[in-house]
Parts: sequence; C-alpha cells; structure tokens
Amino acid sequence: MRAVLRLIEYDLKNFFRYKWWLAGLISMNLADLLIMAVVYSHMVSPEITEQIRSYFSFFAPGVTVVGLFASAFMIGREVNMEVRRQIHHYMLSLPITRFELAFGRLLAGGLRGMVYMSPLLLTTFIFVGFPTFPQLLTILGALFLLATGISGLSIATAVSTTSFEKFVTARGLVYYILFFCSSIFYPLSLIQTLGQEGIMPQPIVILAELNPLSSGADLIRSFLMGTPAFELNMIRNLVVFSLIFVTTATYAYMKIVERR
Amino acid sequence: MRKLLFVVERDLRTFLQFKVLIIMRGIWFAAQVAFFGLIASRMVVPELADIYFEYYIAGVVVMTLYSSSVFIGYDLFEEAEHGVFEYLLSLPISRKELVVGRSIGGGVRSFIFVGPIIAIALYVIGLANPVNLLIALSALFLFAFGVSGMSITIAVSLKSGDRFDILMGVVNALIVRLSTTMYPQSFVQRASGTYAIISQFNPVTFASDLFRWGAGIERYLTMNPMPLAAIVGLVIFFFTFTLIGVTIYERRLEGGGWQ
Repeated sequence: MRAVLRLIEYDLKNFFRYKWWLAGLISMNLADLLIMAVVYSHMVSPEITEQIRSYFSFFAPGVTVVGLFASAFMIGREVNMEVRRQIHHYMLSLPITRFELAFGRLLAGGLRGMVYMSPLLLTTFIFVGFPTFPQLLTILGALFLLATGISGLSIATAVSTTSFEKFVTARGLVYYILFFCSSIFYPLSLIQTLGQEGIMPQPIVILAELNPLSSGADLIRSFLMGTPAFELNMIRNLVVFSLIFVTTATYAYMKIVERR
Repeated sequence: MRKLLFVVERDLRTFLQFKVLIIMRGIWFAAQVAFFGLIASRMVVPELADIYFEYYIAGVVVMTLYSSSVFIGYDLFEEAEHGVFEYLLSLPISRKELVVGRSIGGGVRSFIFVGPIIAIALYVIGLANPVNLLIALSALFLFAFGVSGMSITIAVSLKSGDRFDILMGVVNALIVRLSTTMYPQSFVQRASGTYAIISQFNPVTFASDLFRWGAGIERYLTMNPMPLAAIVGLVIFFFTFTLIGVTIYERRLEGGGWQ
C-alpha cells in the first residue's frame, strides 16, 4: 500500500509540472461554459429548455465531466512515452511489485482527474446549486469511478502501441466518440428521438445510453437539477466501465513492462 | 519569386508527412457534423431549426481551415528542435521571402487539406451560386494566409513549444467561440453585448460569413454589405499579420533561445 501511495505521489507531482497545460485546459473548459453555453442558452428551443432548465445549467455538469476525462486521460500519454523510451525498465528495478506498479499508476491517473475536475465541479455547484452531503458523496464516488475507468482506458490504449502517432490517433477517436455520443452536449432524449426516427443508428443510441460520460454528467444533473431522474443504471454503468478498464489496464500494463 | 515558390513547395511537402493530423481532423469533422450538427439542429429555436444543420457545417469548415492554418507554427518548433533553422538561414533566400513563403505555404496546404471537407460540406448544403462561391473561396485564401502568419508571429515571439501550444489552445477556444462559426450574431448579441462586439470584429466571423454567403446561406449574415465588408476585414487581417510576421520573424529568427 505504501508503494502505491509513493507512485501516486510521483504521478501527482508530475501532473503539477504541466502548469501551462493545466492553465490552457481550464481556460478552454471555461470558454466552453462561459461563452458557448451562454449563447446556446438563448438559442435552445423552449420545449428543450423546459426539460433542462437552461442550457448553461445543463452544460455545466457536462463540462465538468469533459475536464475530468481530459485530465484523467493524460496519464496514458506519459505511460506511452515511458514505453517508447523504455523508462519502464527503471520502474521494474524499484522494490515494488508489478501489480502495485500498475494499480498505483491507474489510481494516480484517476486522482489527477479528480484534482483537475474539482474547481469545475465547484463552479457547477455555484451556478447550478449545491447538493446535499449524501448526494455530494455519491457524486464524488461516481466521478472517482469514472476517472479511474478513464485512466484505465487511457493506459490500455497507451500500452497497446509503441507509436506515439498511433496513440494520438486512437486517443482522438476515443475522445470524439465518447464526447459526441453522450449526453454531455445534449439531452439523451434527443439522441433517442433521432434513433426512433431512424436518423441515428441504433448502436449509436445504445452507446450513448451506456456511455459512462453520459452516466457521470446525468448523475450530477439528477442531483442538482432533478432532471433526468436519478437511476441506479447510472451507477451500474460507471461500476462496469471502471471494472472493465481497471482490470484490462492492470493486466496490460503488467504484461508490457515485463516485455523485452 | 522563384525562391518564394521553393519555400511554399517545401511547406506543402512537409505537411503531407502529418498523416495523423489529417486523419484526426477528418474524424473531428465527421463527429462534429454527424453528431453535434445533427443533434443540435433539433435543439435550437424553430426560427433557426430549418437552417441550423447547414449553418453549422459551414462553421465547421471555417474552424477546420483555421486550425489547419495554425499548424505551421508547430513546424517551426520541430525545425528549431532538429536544427533546421540554421540550415534555412544559410540558404540564399531573404528573411522576408522566407516568412512570406511560409505564410503562403501554410495557407495553401490548409486549403488542400480542407478541400475534401469543403466538397462534402457543399454536397450537403448545395451550391446556389458558383460565382459567389469562387469569390468567397478566393477571400478565404487570405484568411488562411493571415492565420498562418499569425501562428508564425506567435511562435517566433514565444520561442517556447509548450507556451505556444497552450496559447494557441486558448486563442483557438476564444477566437472560435467568440465568432459566428457556431451561432448567428443575433444570438450572440442576446447573450452578451461584449461578446457581440468581439464577434463582429473577429476574422473567423468574416470567414464564416463569406463561406456561408458563397454557399448560399444568406440568412443570419453578420457583415453588411456582403461580401465587401467581410473581404475588407480579411484583407486588413492578412496584411496586419503578414507585416507583423515579417518584422518579428526577421528580428527574432537569429540568436537561438528556442525551448
């Protein structure tokens, strides 16, 4: 356990070395919220506004999840760089078991996401409303599950290729599919309606429903805005996503660091 | 003139090496159109709903043109890292020719990259008036050159890859969101008077208006009279950044200090 904590400390210290990157990312997220969402609030039809209170309130939890995703995914970039430059040989020489090494990196990636996301979540609370204490604990727990799953997804992607270009392409593909096929930018009901009309293919609709980013954003909305209604499915999706990618990434990372 | 063409040709060849960037932008365009554009058009007020999908696609074309024109700045850092700058300085080409050639090269290669995207966009939107479209595309060349010049100016001023990357990310976030690429000016005005003023004098707004005008989406144009107002705006933008770029490039190119 101590070794895992050391690894978390190592990765968190690395994270804060990227001050410029963090400043840039946060300003982009705030630009999305304070400019794009404000303008869209005046553009969204009254029928949709009835469902979501206002686009600004609707989007604030979405941008929190976007920030969480981008920062938790960053660990993959470092892992990919370590694999390419074979720095993992040094890691293997440390008095840490393979499992601790893999699990520590995973948790660190998740915690980075939580640290980065905190000011965005606080901004959401200030603008949209504060949850009760049990709701706050549920939100933090759910977002931690999401962050750890994203960290796992990122590490699994990073170790599956030694080419940085392929990693960047795969990352872009994952980003765009998960961001746009989710309820981050628009209510899930709209995607479902397009699915019923045959405009949106059913697999896309199912992906949007099961997407952990949809579950994370909708869970925050359900507590702060009361819409959509809270469902246990949201937690279930996050647990399943986290379990799958924590297991896959731990196994893949352990295998890759032992490879000659 | 021949030397200038050599610089342009070199930048065009360099761009084709960035296959990942080209694939990524292609995926981004597809995701923006097939998901965000389609779904957001169902979300907006009725007065805008019938036209919003086409309106948004035109905006995405201009966003893609902007982001691919910016990419030339990243090339400068690659060259500094690999010591190519010293080689370029040793060539029998003046500094002015080098920077103007690079701005043009950056603009032309963005156009080559955006070409297929423009074709897809026009297939979806339809083509109302080919003459208007030609005028608009010609003016958009100036926009691409201007953005390349702006990217070179910022890269050479900062001389730090990390800072450039972040600053361009922030500039991109602000310049695109405070423009009419995603929403008409009247809605920006309703949201905030300050946003509306910035949006009205934003080169990305000029470019979006021109492309929409060229493609026949004439409702919700910001500039008046069209196309003159937007073209004048783009000409000013182009000359400002080309002149500033030439001056700064000449002064800052030598002496190292790249990080």
